[in-house]
Amino acid sequence: MTRRARGLSGGQWIAQYASPTLVIIALLALWEVAASVGWLRPILFPPPSRLARSLYELATDGYPEGVTLWVHFGITMQRILTGYAGALALAVPLGLVIGCVPLLDRLTVPVVAFSRSVATLSLLPLAIVWFGTGEGSKMFLIGYGCFWVMLSNVVAAVQQVDPLLIRAAHSMDTGRLGIFTRVLLPAALPRMFAGARVSLGVGFMVIVGAEMIGTIKGLGALIMEARTFYRNDITMVGMALLGVIGMLIAVMLQRIEAWLLPWQSRERR
Amino acid sequence: MSMSAGSTVARHGLGAIGAFAFLALWELAARWVWRDVQVLPAPTQAIAIAWNHLTPSELAGHVGISLMRVAVGFTMAAALGITLGVAGSWYAWIGRLCRPVIDLLRPIPPLAWIPIAIVWFGLGEGSKWFVIFLGAFFPIFSNAYRGMDSVSPILLRAARTMDVDGVALLVRVALPAALPDIATGLRVGFGLAFGILIAAELIAADSGMGYLVMQSRQIGELGVAVFGILLIGVVSLVSDLALAAGLRHLLGRSAQI
Repeated sequence: MTRRARGLSGGQWIAQYASPTLVIIALLALWEVAASVGWLRPILFPPPSRLARSLYELATDGYPEGVTLWVHFGITMQRILTGYAGALALAVPLGLVIGCVPLLDRLTVPVVAFSRSVATLSLLPLAIVWFGTGEGSKMFLIGYGCFWVMLSNVVAAVQQVDPLLIRAAHSMDTGRLGIFTRVLLPAALPRMFAGARVSLGVGFMVIVGAEMIGTIKGLGALIMEARTFYRNDITMVGMALLGVIGMLIAVMLQRIEAWLLPWQSRERR
Repeated sequence: MSMSAGSTVARHGLGAIGAFAFLALWELAARWVWRDVQVLPAPTQAIAIAWNHLTPSELAGHVGISLMRVAVGFTMAAALGITLGVAGSWYAWIGRLCRPVIDLLRPIPPLAWIPIAIVWFGLGEGSKWFVIFLGAFFPIFSNAYRGMDSVSPILLRAARTMDVDGVALLVRVALPAALPDIATGLRVGFGLAFGILIAAELIAADSGMGYLVMQSRQIGELGVAVFGILLIGVVSLVSDLALAAGLRHLLGRSAQI
């Protein structure tokens, strides 16, 4: 990212864009040829030309019939964002409190560590009993995955604030509230943001698994449903779309971070 | 990082109190407030129910096969990820060939590979190994690559002036310098591998800890699910700590893992 901002010389430009593009094009061409000559079975490895047609089909007619790409995309995004927002809304205040009170932190360390290491999707049977097979259980699972990652990052962010900063603020007669809002919070923000990024990544992983069970809408459901009916081309298109969402999320977070924490990105340069 | 023995004891002691309080609260809430084992089983009820439904050898079988799957997938990921990461950074042309493909595939969440893995490798062990492999591969590769890339050029130049070059420079200077990053990648990859394994077992398997959790729905005993969830947490925590200890042993005490 930073290199791009500085401007590239000709050689760098080739290294960064031209050569990767060529490698990818060559690989796709090889795949296409291999499928048409018969080295790869097209049913198992649908060639790129087939995938392009499937993408068009998915965008216009939809799969299953009537449920287009945009519906799947929208529902998946909506689930991720609601679960994620809920998790952040709980984890940030709780993390700030735990981070500021050392006793509380020591009491909760094992519980937090254990809850983090519980595989989120293993909670599926509980989620179904508590929230039914609908949207509720999916949001619970995403929320659970995001929550613990975010919580431990917020706690760590507060603890890693340089004590010198706080002492300096004390010596300048800043009140407790002032120290919290004007010293502690800004100093903890970068690490909290890193946590928010990791946490969204977790949510993105969980959603795919959560959507594979009990729904036909959403990209996770799409790829599972298509496999059941031997539409491997649709499955692969769905995987590619999930990859695109993953990339979009990463770029979006970078932008938000640069906007919220301009000093941070300037430092890195 | 240094800490006196007394404060370490106090820390762990407080942690134990916290964990105990949490379990006690759960136990009380389940037994006195909810009072329905099919909605919220207490920890002790979950263990009792699991004890009635599972023989110890069945249980050991589920844990064993899950660990086996993680071990196979993770070992493949470690072997290929470290090899490609190191080679891709050391030899520019390898990097130019494999980086674009890896960068393109990386954003696809590992679980999204499950359906296609079933198509390619069937419902048996192969598809699970493949998905676990994919999940662990990317962080292992990126960390190995980054670790090699950030080896100080001064170190390499110093070695060259002492006539260490070629493969010897790679194996005896660059690789050891990149080891901490490689170790970080291994730990991140291992954590992911475990989560993915459970998901794969939930969706398509007839054995393993993930299957155990899912099976609770068929036999209508939520207690078995809760037991399975706790079991997965314990096993993944313990194996992660074991991996960390192993890596620390390998890297010496200086490494912060």
